[in-house]
Amino acid sequence: MRAEVVYHLARRDVVKFLRDRQNLVATLVRPLLWVLAVGFGLRRAVGTGATGVDFVSFLVPGVATMAVLFSSMFSAISIVWDREFGFLKELLVAPVPRATLVLAKMISASVTALIEVSVVLLVAPLLGARIDPLGALLAIPVLVAFGMSVSALGITVASRMKTFEGFGGIVNFLIQPVFFFSGALYPLDGLPPALAVVVRLNPMSYAVDATRGLCVGVHHFPIPLDVGIVLATLALLGTLAVRSFSRMQA
Amino acid sequence: MSPSPAIEVRDLSKRFGDVEAVRGVSFTVKEGEIFGFLGPNGAGKTTTIKMLCTLLAPTSGSLRLAGFDVTKSPEDVRRSIGVIFQDPSLDDRLTAEENLMLHAVVYGVPRAERRARLDEALAFVDLSDRKKDLVRTFSGGMKRRLEIARGLVHRPRVLFLDEPTTGLDPQTRNATWEVLRDLRDRNGMTLFLTTHYMDEAENCDRIAVIDHGRIVAEDSPEALKRAVGKDVVFVRTNEPAALCAVLAERYGLTPDRTEEGLCFRVEDGEAFVVRLVSEARVAVTGIAVRRPTLDDVFLALTGRQIRNGNSEAGRDAMRAMARRR
Repeated sequence: MRAEVVYHLARRDVVKFLRDRQNLVATLVRPLLWVLAVGFGLRRAVGTGATGVDFVSFLVPGVATMAVLFSSMFSAISIVWDREFGFLKELLVAPVPRATLVLAKMISASVTALIEVSVVLLVAPLLGARIDPLGALLAIPVLVAFGMSVSALGITVASRMKTFEGFGGIVNFLIQPVFFFSGALYPLDGLPPALAVVVRLNPMSYAVDATRGLCVGVHHFPIPLDVGIVLATLALLGTLAVRSFSRMQA
Repeated sequence: MSPSPAIEVRDLSKRFGDVEAVRGVSFTVKEGEIFGFLGPNGAGKTTTIKMLCTLLAPTSGSLRLAGFDVTKSPEDVRRSIGVIFQDPSLDDRLTAEENLMLHAVVYGVPRAERRARLDEALAFVDLSDRKKDLVRTFSGGMKRRLEIARGLVHRPRVLFLDEPTTGLDPQTRNATWEVLRDLRDRNGMTLFLTTHYMDEAENCDRIAVIDHGRIVAEDSPEALKRAVGKDVVFVRTNEPAALCAVLAERYGLTPDRTEEGLCFRVEDGEAFVVRLVSEARVAVTGIAVRRPTLDDVFLALTGRQIRNGNSEAGRDAMRAMARRR
């Protein structure tokens, strides 16, 4: 596998992401809306609650992880797009292993997600959130790994889907429970037992927990456990993506 | 030692469920040859090309390309070939240059040579001045030319073209053919193309006529036409009845009355026409001798005509519908 090929393939997606200005603005503003509307909307009702930190500060790492989830998942739609417009054939007939194409897609997905995360983490302090800058830097590799695993799941779905509608349907079906049962919006202490079980089974919970622990110092699980689970998920979903993509025919 | 043939196919078959799309096809293409697959839609042309390009696994049979076994070393094969697909396969949100650069990197063109290869390929198809433009702003003919340029960037030994000029206007079609012939003449590249246009097939050195997944004939266009034999002669006259009588009595011919005059088939049309004019004593106002075309060949071989215009329009409409779904 040649690193240069991965770089150029990933670059193609990032260039197109940055070139589409309207989509870019909408994508960057959306997470900030969550911070503004949900953060400041619920701040009075929630207060510092059981976590001991201001709700806006508590919410920002959750919103950052959410941005990674949505962005990475939907970036896999470019595979369906490439199939529809014929470019996928050019890629599939190229003399590179399919795993290279998958890795490039996972990297471009996490890079575009990271652009969104950076905007959230840079703007949040201006809105009054207290984010530890060093912790935020440490959280970035965790979010990259999480973004790559989400995009791997997206690639797996996209490899089996022939239409935009099919992809959109499945992805929305997957993405909503993963987001709502993750602790992105609420602390994990004292949840009803059934909900606590679901949250513990959801890999995103650990990505959120690590990010929050590193950025604002509040976490439910030990951070090494969080990181371990995020990496294990990446290995599992990455393997699945390579297998699905390799079986796909033009 | 003679070099291995560019393409060597033995007893190739492909089944899709109950449908046998390709049924035991064998052929060999020499280095530097322009080889054409001629046949109606659904004859198995695209299926064969996909198997040669490693995009489809054959059900049975052997495929060798530039000396490599297609099923055993697909990556070596992919490095040796260029493919120009039937439908566009460019990224239209990138510029012409970006499309070509990505291709150069993926196909392992050395970094130091990339710029020069790109400029050369773009100049070859006359798109140098548009290299910084997004492909979505290109016309259909320009996109086709850009795809040809892309297919050349890594200097493949064999270039595959699936219906290279479908959907292009006649002028662009001629220009595309000029580019293709130039490629073979200057670089000795082997071209393998599929077409359902008879006039296009005439550009090939050799043609395999394919129908229902089988090769029904394989030879040069000239030899195929010779095999069908007789020339077609059209004679115009103001006295068609008299000329008909002469043709029937003296030469045993039964001409058809067509808009272009009386029409009949004879061996060596030119010589016959000279004899007819001196012997017939009927005023002739016009004469045309036509060599048999590949249309006639296909008709003679399969009993069916390849319908050029109408079926293509129908298929393009179907494709557009399929894309919308």
